[in-house]
Amino acid sequence: MDLMEKLTILTNGAKYDAACTSSGADRPGKTVAAGCCHAFSADGRCVTLLKVLLTNHCIFDCKYCVNRSSNDCRRTAFTPEELAGLTIEFYRRNYIEGLFLSSGVMRSPDYTMEQMIQALHLLRYRYDFWGYIHAKTIPGASPELVRRLGLLADRVSVNIELPSEESLRLLAPHKKREAILAPMKQICLAAGESRQEMAVYKKAPQFAPAGQATQMIIGASPDTDYQIIRLAAALYGKYALKRVFYSAYIPAVADSLLPALDFKPPLLREHRLYQADFLMRQYGFGAEEILSEDMPSLNPYLDPKCNWAVNHMQEFPVDVNAAALETLLRVPGIGPTSARRIVVARRHGRLGLAELKRMGVVLKRAQYFIRASDWPSGARFDKHTTVRALVDPNVFSFGTEQLSLFPGASSLRQLPEAGEARSVAEAVEETVLCLASNL
Amino acid sequence: MPGFKPLALPANVVYTYDGSFEGFLCCVFESVYSGELPLEILREEDAQPTLIQSRSVATDPVRAERVRASIRSKISERALELVTTAFCSCLAQKELRMLEFLLRGYREGAKLCFMMGDDVTATLLRAEKHLLGEAHLLKGFVRFADVGGALVATISPKNYALPFIARHFVLRYRQERFMIFDKTNGAALVYQDCKAEILRVERVELPEISESEAQYQALWKRFYDTVSIESRENPRCRMTHMPKRYWENMSEVCGLLRPKAE
Repeated sequence: MDLMEKLTILTNGAKYDAACTSSGADRPGKTVAAGCCHAFSADGRCVTLLKVLLTNHCIFDCKYCVNRSSNDCRRTAFTPEELAGLTIEFYRRNYIEGLFLSSGVMRSPDYTMEQMIQALHLLRYRYDFWGYIHAKTIPGASPELVRRLGLLADRVSVNIELPSEESLRLLAPHKKREAILAPMKQICLAAGESRQEMAVYKKAPQFAPAGQATQMIIGASPDTDYQIIRLAAALYGKYALKRVFYSAYIPAVADSLLPALDFKPPLLREHRLYQADFLMRQYGFGAEEILSEDMPSLNPYLDPKCNWAVNHMQEFPVDVNAAALETLLRVPGIGPTSARRIVVARRHGRLGLAELKRMGVVLKRAQYFIRASDWPSGARFDKHTTVRALVDPNVFSFGTEQLSLFPGASSLRQLPEAGEARSVAEAVEETVLCLASNL
Repeated sequence: MPGFKPLALPANVVYTYDGSFEGFLCCVFESVYSGELPLEILREEDAQPTLIQSRSVATDPVRAERVRASIRSKISERALELVTTAFCSCLAQKELRMLEFLLRGYREGAKLCFMMGDDVTATLLRAEKHLLGEAHLLKGFVRFADVGGALVATISPKNYALPFIARHFVLRYRQERFMIFDKTNGAALVYQDCKAEILRVERVELPEISESEAQYQALWKRFYDTVSIESRENPRCRMTHMPKRYWENMSEVCGLLRPKAE
């Protein structure tokens, strides 16, 4: 089999992994600390790393996976030399920022990890490659191998795959929850130790300097958004993860336990989960603030921040000339950059709407929640106007069938029935009415 | 500007200068010492004969140095950085906007840089953001081709971004020889024998690419096409993140551009 065919097969096997970031490693020139996208594929996702499998041979039979052992497809593997050569040549031409290496399980988890370590070792120490490396550990591999992998890679990740233990037992019978969480804990501890050692001795070996990440599949199992968000919050808190990635389930293989093959991936739901995730990581929201036991689904029509805001109208309006940074961050339309700019700029003069606009604050949503020097709190809007302005136009560009992919959303709030032929304007009006009345 | 007597008043005159940053600093000198705010500041090659009085400002290194020092001491280090960056941007009438900023800065001091809601500052900050944003994208979107052992790339950015990406690529390809040719601004970053410089180059003739180079380009194209998931296809999203004006220099997508009408 020639290199072209191998690359095609092994890319096809790896492409459902969502993570393709390269941030966190600080080696000036060799990596960009903030991450750097080298291209964007036709699905709009960024291509930063050469994302391939070492092999797509697999002894596991996870129901949702293209590489499952019962799937009849062509199998192949890179030799470590081939992989290293490809990475170096791509990196040299500035096609990529580094390598994302995952793998099917060949013979045993330990054997596969040894192969991966060998390939990475070759790349780092024979070819002197110091670009970014993101490596996936194999569930069930021994701790010593995880440690060696962490010393070679910038970021190590263990996929949690499914949000709950029941789903995991049902759909990934070979993966045990402990086999996923144990290496996660190990990586978290080892990275912490390595940071401490480096504070004492600068040349101490770095263990996964860019931290660890994980991924879970959305929509293949009946777990609710609340469960997912809670799990993510726990992972951020307990294992100091840098990112949790959510991947809308894409039917790759047929199975009676899974959604049908013509099932549309729940892209809107995935989008809302990412928004909620960002609120937790960068805006100081807690999982309990975004969702709760009796409201377990994210609102498809409003982004989570707007949803929180219209449900907590008593916290607004916020005075941009006086409010604390954390309070500003809670205003829909004001993000970390705008909030920091406001805090700097207001030391040198009072801010009105025109100033905010020139500073790059998006007033489309923020205007309903702020008070500025020429924007008194008397300028309140009624709920209908507010909600109408906040309804996310993206909802309709995703297609109305996306709404039905929110478990329980339509029954909970009597939102307009999905799938009916209707004009976008009509759908918005109806949404506004029922959201405003539910507030 | 309430409470401040402006340094220069609007005057019916157009300045022309040689296009260098020093030349621009001399225009600032001229404006402050004659007390006139020109209608426009143009590069000599862009100047059209008009009825408006025009004055050619000669570049004098001593004066330029005085202005540079005055920006540092009377406004701030950040103001000098902002003006230097804005000078490389593609802001319309950038010289005049920068002059307005400096004249205000001499009166108001260091705080002007923090008045991000102010029109003169906001304009320059926007230009700076545009340039730095483009430079960041280019760090990813530059595509090198191996030509006889040296790496060659072409870019066509809107801003003069070459000085802002030079450090990144020099650090990354320390052991290589490479050239990045900026088609829009007629300049090239050349790095060889551990020395980098930016040269004025109008055009570059590239030799035919070799067989092994063609193979790596094909492998990259195949990887790029394969890694996309069909059921998530979203061309709009791709264009937002990777505007089409970059595509002509990127081997994996240049084939998707409609061929230009002859």
